[in-house]
Amino acid sequence: MFEPPVQRLIDELSRLPGVGQKSAQRLAFHLLNVEEADARRLADSITEMRSTVRLCNRCFNATADAECTICVDTRRDTSSICVVERAQDIPVIERTQLFKGRYHVLGGAMSPIAGIGPEQLRMSELEARVGAEGVTEVIAATNPTVEGDTTAMYIAQLLKPLGVKVTKLASGLPVGGDLDYADEVTLGRALAGRQEL
Amino acid sequence: MHLTWLELVNFRPYEALRFEPTEGVNILVGENGAGKTSVLEAIGYLGMMRSFRGVPDRALIREGSASAVIRGGIAGGASETTVEVELPSDGRRTVLVNGKRPRRVHDTFLSVPVVVFLPDDLDVIKRGPRVRREYLDDLAATLWPQAGQDLTEYDRALRQRNALLRQGGRETDTGTLDVWDGRVAVAGAKVLLHRRTLAVALQTHLHHAYKEVGGSGSVHWMYRSTWDSHSAGDIEALRVALAEALVESRPRDMDVRTTTVGPHRDEPDLLLDGRPTRTEASQGEQRTVALALRIGAYRLIEDVRDQKPILLLDDVFSELDKERARRVVPLIENGQVFVTTARDDELPIRGRRWSVSEGSVS
Ligand SMILES: [Zn+2]
Repeated sequence: MFEPPVQRLIDELSRLPGVGQKSAQRLAFHLLNVEEADARRLADSITEMRSTVRLCNRCFNATADAECTICVDTRRDTSSICVVERAQDIPVIERTQLFKGRYHVLGGAMSPIAGIGPEQLRMSELEARVGAEGVTEVIAATNPTVEGDTTAMYIAQLLKPLGVKVTKLASGLPVGGDLDYADEVTLGRALAGRQEL
Repeated sequence: MHLTWLELVNFRPYEALRFEPTEGVNILVGENGAGKTSVLEAIGYLGMMRSFRGVPDRALIREGSASAVIRGGIAGGASETTVEVELPSDGRRTVLVNGKRPRRVHDTFLSVPVVVFLPDDLDVIKRGPRVRREYLDDLAATLWPQAGQDLTEYDRALRQRNALLRQGGRETDTGTLDVWDGRVAVAGAKVLLHRRTLAVALQTHLHHAYKEVGGSGSVHWMYRSTWDSHSAGDIEALRVALAEALVESRPRDMDVRTTTVGPHRDEPDLLLDGRPTRTEASQGEQRTVALALRIGAYRLIEDVRDQKPILLLDDVFSELDKERARRVVPLIENGQVFVTTARDDELPIRGRRWSVSEGSVS
């Protein structure tokens, strides 16, 4: 056990994804040793982000307004939705410049081990959008993992009765990782070669 | 293929080790607990991406260290490949091949093919079907990286389906179960196909190896699968068969909250002249079949890859009688071999001797 304020920070840091107890301790003591202004800037930027940025009402992308810049852009094609696991996957797909529709951020992938089923993801919101926005194609751009694959299959199963075409990225992406492990060319090829589920 | 150098940092008893073995036979001599097997374990890790002792990665990290590192240079043909693995005590391991992340971790299997002989190899004959499934899966992964990838995906999908059943029991949401069934079936069909392909590819080598180590009669794999009675080798037919079997076993699976059908429950058996070796062969016959399985694997890898694999013999000669040892040695001594022994004499194999003690090899 450390001094209570240090221990509190360690506990908070170790709740972040990919940060274990030891890394959390390292980070906490690093922050104790840097200039106070540097540490405060980190704290302020977290506070500022949380008070000014929110989730888009439509697609759950990060936004400063009610809807994100992509959703309010009238040049975007409203008949297709690209479903991603996380908001940070959106710029990765945008870089390929091949997708002109709008997005939907699920908030993760199905994983019973982690206690995540369809109810923990934004599946019903997706279902509602497909009906309400006149969508004809949904591209499941989930991660190339066992969980991502299975989530794509679930989306297909959920949306097929609505008469919408559901596709997934072509194989060829680095297996087992996040979307951004792939370079733009590879990802662009996977997007262009998408297959109907 | 041969290992030209090995570096260990905070791996098992080794704080920092640099070891440059010979291209031929390397004999590691030392007291029990001196760290001989740890050297073999590190070399094996570079080839299989796990410990052959079946322990979790964190057990490999030296007491009190934040991470362990295994680094090795492997020469094959004209080029040298460097493989590096870092195992942190928390967080994910990093694997680098020539300084870059491989597309699939299993691609490293191509760089470092290894075959391991252990004193408890008899287990593969005597124990339940799990060890025989592992034998087939390990060898398939060494030959074909995709097989290792497919097996990892099958394990993952199966663990997810089991977690779902454990949480839901009879109330499990069938829509969610449907998609997990689908994913398990896709991966499971591939796993079965790899095992079957392997059993066929291995047959000739197994047969010859069995004769060479003095066995009489003939050895065959018999692969029993409860969910695929017809033996069509078509991947799509296998996928459909497994998907149907999963649907059929669903009520039972929901009751017992786990998956009761699939490649993880299959029963590969070894038959000697048509009789199961597990129950009907003598101890001597079993030992001969176990040896033939290792030598057969060695030969198959050599055949498919056109390179001799690196052979790791952990204290094997203490278990072998003189006659079998005399027959085995000429079959293996031409490639790079690592042998551990507690005694400094009486080994039926000659080579460069290394003394292992207190975290050093000299
Ligand atoms: Zn939006």
